[in-house]
This record gives sequence, structure tokens and C-alpha cells, in this order.
Amino acid sequence: MWDLLVEPFSTDYMRRALVELVLLGVLGGVVGVYVLLRRLAFITEVVQHAVFPGIAVAFVVGQSLLAGALASGALAVALLAVGSRRRQIDADALMALLIATFFAFGVVVVSRGTGFQSDLTALLFGRILSVDQRELIDTAVVAVVCLLVLAALHKELVLRAFDPIGAEAAGYPIAALDLVLNLVVMLTIVAAVRALGTVLVVAFVVTPAATARLLVRRIGPMMVVAVAFAGLCGWLGLVVSYQGSVHHGWRLASGATVVMCLTVGFVLVAAGRAVVHVVRSRPVAAPSREPRPAAARP
Amino acid sequence: MRNLVESLQSPLFRRALLEAVLIGSIAGTVGVHVVLRKLPFFVVAMSHATFPGVAIASALGVSLFVGGTIAGLAVVVAVLVLGASKVLDDASIIGVVLAGSFALGVLVVSAQPGSSKDLTAFLVGSILTVTPADIALTVIVGGTVLLVLSALHKELVLGAFDRVGAAALGYRPWVLDAVVLVAVTVTMVTAIPAVGALLAVALLTVPALTARLWTDRLGPTQAIAALVGGLSGVLGLSASAVWSVAAGGAIALATGVCFVVSLAVTSLTVSRRMPRTAPRDRVGGAAA
Repeated sequence: MWDLLVEPFSTDYMRRALVELVLLGVLGGVVGVYVLLRRLAFITEVVQHAVFPGIAVAFVVGQSLLAGALASGALAVALLAVGSRRRQIDADALMALLIATFFAFGVVVVSRGTGFQSDLTALLFGRILSVDQRELIDTAVVAVVCLLVLAALHKELVLRAFDPIGAEAAGYPIAALDLVLNLVVMLTIVAAVRALGTVLVVAFVVTPAATARLLVRRIGPMMVVAVAFAGLCGWLGLVVSYQGSVHHGWRLASGATVVMCLTVGFVLVAAGRAVVHVVRSRPVAAPSREPRPAAARP
Repeated sequence: MRNLVESLQSPLFRRALLEAVLIGSIAGTVGVHVVLRKLPFFVVAMSHATFPGVAIASALGVSLFVGGTIAGLAVVVAVLVLGASKVLDDASIIGVVLAGSFALGVLVVSAQPGSSKDLTAFLVGSILTVTPADIALTVIVGGTVLLVLSALHKELVLGAFDRVGAAALGYRPWVLDAVVLVAVTVTMVTAIPAVGALLAVALLTVPALTARLWTDRLGPTQAIAALVGGLSGVLGLSASAVWSVAAGGAIALATGVCFVVSLAVTSLTVSRRMPRTAPRDRVGGAAA
């Protein structure tokens, strides 16, 4: 059993993939808790599609993908900030518009090149197994910067999440705090996008934190659980995709397998929680703190 | 330009043009209800959620439409069940579910040979390969959806603007919600062969948003949205023929161009006496 779990990591590329996923797990787990507190899941989705045209352009002209992703991600965050100031434009609708048009632009750019289909697949779903030393260093640098910023602003961000009016009354610059958090989310997506691709990366931010929230209620422990959960699923996902592909001929895409592990983990925790809930038959759910946004209600 | 004239002579291209106009105008009209009920995130989620259904249906060789619809409805149920405990907000649950269902779709597609070609077709569509059967399906499904929406127009609008009032008058708001959600899901699945899962989002939101810039009244909004959707189909497809780029991407981008042009023109001409959307909670609203 132990061999089964460790054997895949005898090669360099698998070890690098594991290190990358653990780094992203730490970053995504912590950032995800703030995203959860602020209900920013939709913005995370916007940013992950918004970095796509930047990556596509950088890919076609042969520049650094990181720089391209940063540029178009920053543009989307800026448009979002400008657009949501105008009352005529509904914020949710604006986000859907940004998702659709940025993504469409990326598709058009990639389709100009030869090898459209395989290029698009690589950009959309990432290449976790071909992560190199430099990308690991990039990810580590981004993670350290983001975590330092979050640590420095932790008190203000939590206050703003739970009591925006109080925070404003106390004189904190709400708009600046929001911008900082959006930029941190963007950097996280940019760091993860080459490994996991532009459509799966949201899972590394949203799912670990949501799972942790089902288990604990305090913010600190929530971050610890989210990080541990993300790391564990990254490891398990790599093992499953390696064993499946090498020994059983299943052709499991690594990035998608890792995300499936996260989702299955979330579902198991949710089911376990429901069972415990029924067994104890007393309310353990926290009352929701504010009316839920209408847009998110299906 | 010569490319365009040559393309117009091909029956494949003319068929694609017809499909693009049909899908664009149907999705544009349905999109008005999406914007009215503030459902754009639901549409984005649905675009990812129908993907595993379409992928599995394609692997098994059954109808993509049925597969996508079943998967979409399954995800609606999953979100409602997970949301029942109220520990997590709906946006987070939708985020978890949509990423997970997308990963499932990728796994299903990648397990088969020739995967990247199929994957591209699902994601960004392949409108130049639509068959007469696809067009017939579009007409039937689109016609039914539009018929249902116009028959229930008064009730749907009441439900969108005044839930409490609708309930007091004896309507069941959740039935009205369900009608809109099913209409959106079905329209989305119909659009997948033409423009792909991810770009159907553009047709279901952007034309309606564009129309809202021009008028505050609901009837004209639907007419303009249908027009913008159909026009985007023509513009996008022509652009894809002239510059040989992906048709699905070009159509979605055309809706964005329509929006930007409308935004520029309306900010210059139309006076702004009335707010166009319901006032939102300034602090919480933008972040939701």
C-alpha cells in the first residue's frame, strides 16, 4: 500500500508536480478562505477566464505566459472595478460578460495558430507534469508575496468581510481592501494556471476552503484544514492518475484527476456531515449572516 | 472579402449562418429573463455543468441534447441539496460543483482516443458542421421555449420583480423559477453544438445586457436582444470566414463588440433619468 502511494514519485517530473501542487495547495487553501468569507467565488471564476487571452497571446508570440496572464488578469480586475461603479450595469451581468468575451478573444487568438486543438487543450487544462524548476520558483515567490500581504491585512480583511459598514465607519479604505484581495486572487490564479489550466484552477481556490468550512468554524483552523486537504488531494490525484495511466491504461488527465479528488473529498465530507447532523439531530448550522445574493440562487 | 463571397456559395456555410442566426435570436430573447432574474452566474455554472453530460453522451453515442440536459438538471439538484444546510453560500457551492463537473467531463473525454479534437468541439463548438437535424432541433426546442416564455410572460415578470406579491396572488414562485431555469438549461444545451459550452454564456447574457442599454421597457428589450443575438451570429461567422478564426469564438466576441459599441453610443445620446437596474446594496452587492 505504501509503495502504491510513494512509487509514482520516483521520477523527477512527478516530484516537481507534487511540489507544485503542494505550493498551490498552501496558496489556494489560504486565499480560498478569504474568497469564501467574502463570497467571491464568481469573481474567481471571472479571473480564471480573464487570464486566458493573455496566456493565448503570450503563447502565440512566444513571450512569458506569466506576464501575459498578469496583464490580461489586471485588465479584467480594472474593468470590473470601473464597471461596477456604474449603477446602470448589473455587477453579475458584467462578470458574465467579461468571462464570455475575454474567453472568446483567447479562443480566437489561439485559433489563428496551427495546431489549434492541442494548443487549446494544453492552455485550458494545463500541463502539471511538465512543470519545470523555474515555474516552481515563480509559484513559490507568488505564494510568499500573497501570503505576506494577507497576513499583514488579515484583521482588516476579516472585519470588512463580516461588518463592511463598521469597517467603513472605522475609516478603513474599503475599495482599496477589495482591490488588494482581488489582486491576490488574480495572482493565485496566474500562479496556478500553467499547471492546472484556465478552466480547472478555480477548484484549487474554492473547493478546499468550502470543505474546511464544513468541518470547522474558526478562520485559523479553517485555513489549516483547507491547506492540508488541498495538499492531500494533490498527492492522491497524482497517484491515481499515475497508477491508472501506467498500470491500467486508463489515460487519466492528471490535472482533472486532482480536481476530481478535491470534489469527491468535498462530497464525502458533506455527506459525512449530513449523517452526523441527523444522528445528533440538533442544529449545528450557523445562521447565515446576511441575506444571500439573489444572483447566486439557482 | 473574397473569402466571404466564396464561403457564401457553400451550403455548409449557409447552413451555419442559419443556425447562428436562430441560436443567436433565441438565446438573446431567453437571456432577457437571465438578466432580469440576475442569473448570470447560474448560466456560467450551467455551461460547465452540462459538459460532462455531453461528453458521456458522445462517448456512449446517444443524443448530446439528452445527456447535457440530464447533467444540467442533476447539477441543479446537487446545488439545491448542498445548499439546504445553509453553512455555505450558494456561490461557493456552485463554484465547487461546476469545477468538479468540468473535471469529470475532461476525464471522460481524455479517456478516449482523439480527445483534444472532441474536447475543442464541445468547448468552442463547430458550427460549420451543423446538420439539418441540428437546425430542426434548434427550431423545435427554440420554438417551444419561446412559446412557454411568452405564454407565462406576465407571471414570470411578476415573479422576477415581486416574489412576495406573486406568492400573495397565489402563484408558486418556485414553479416560475423552475420554468426559467429549465428554459435556460435547454437553450444552453441546444447552443452547444454550434458555439460550444463556454461561449453559449455569451449569447445568453451579452445581447440582453446590450438591449438593456437602449431601453428600459421589457418588450423592446427582448426584441433588441434577439436582434443583437442574430446580428452577432452573422458578424461572427463572417469574421471567421474572412480571417479564418474559430467561428464560436468570433460569434461570442461579436456580442462583446455589440455591447461596447452600444455602451459608447448610448452614453453619448440616451439621457439617464432613471436607473436601469434595481438599486443594489452598495457594499455587499458588487462583491456577491
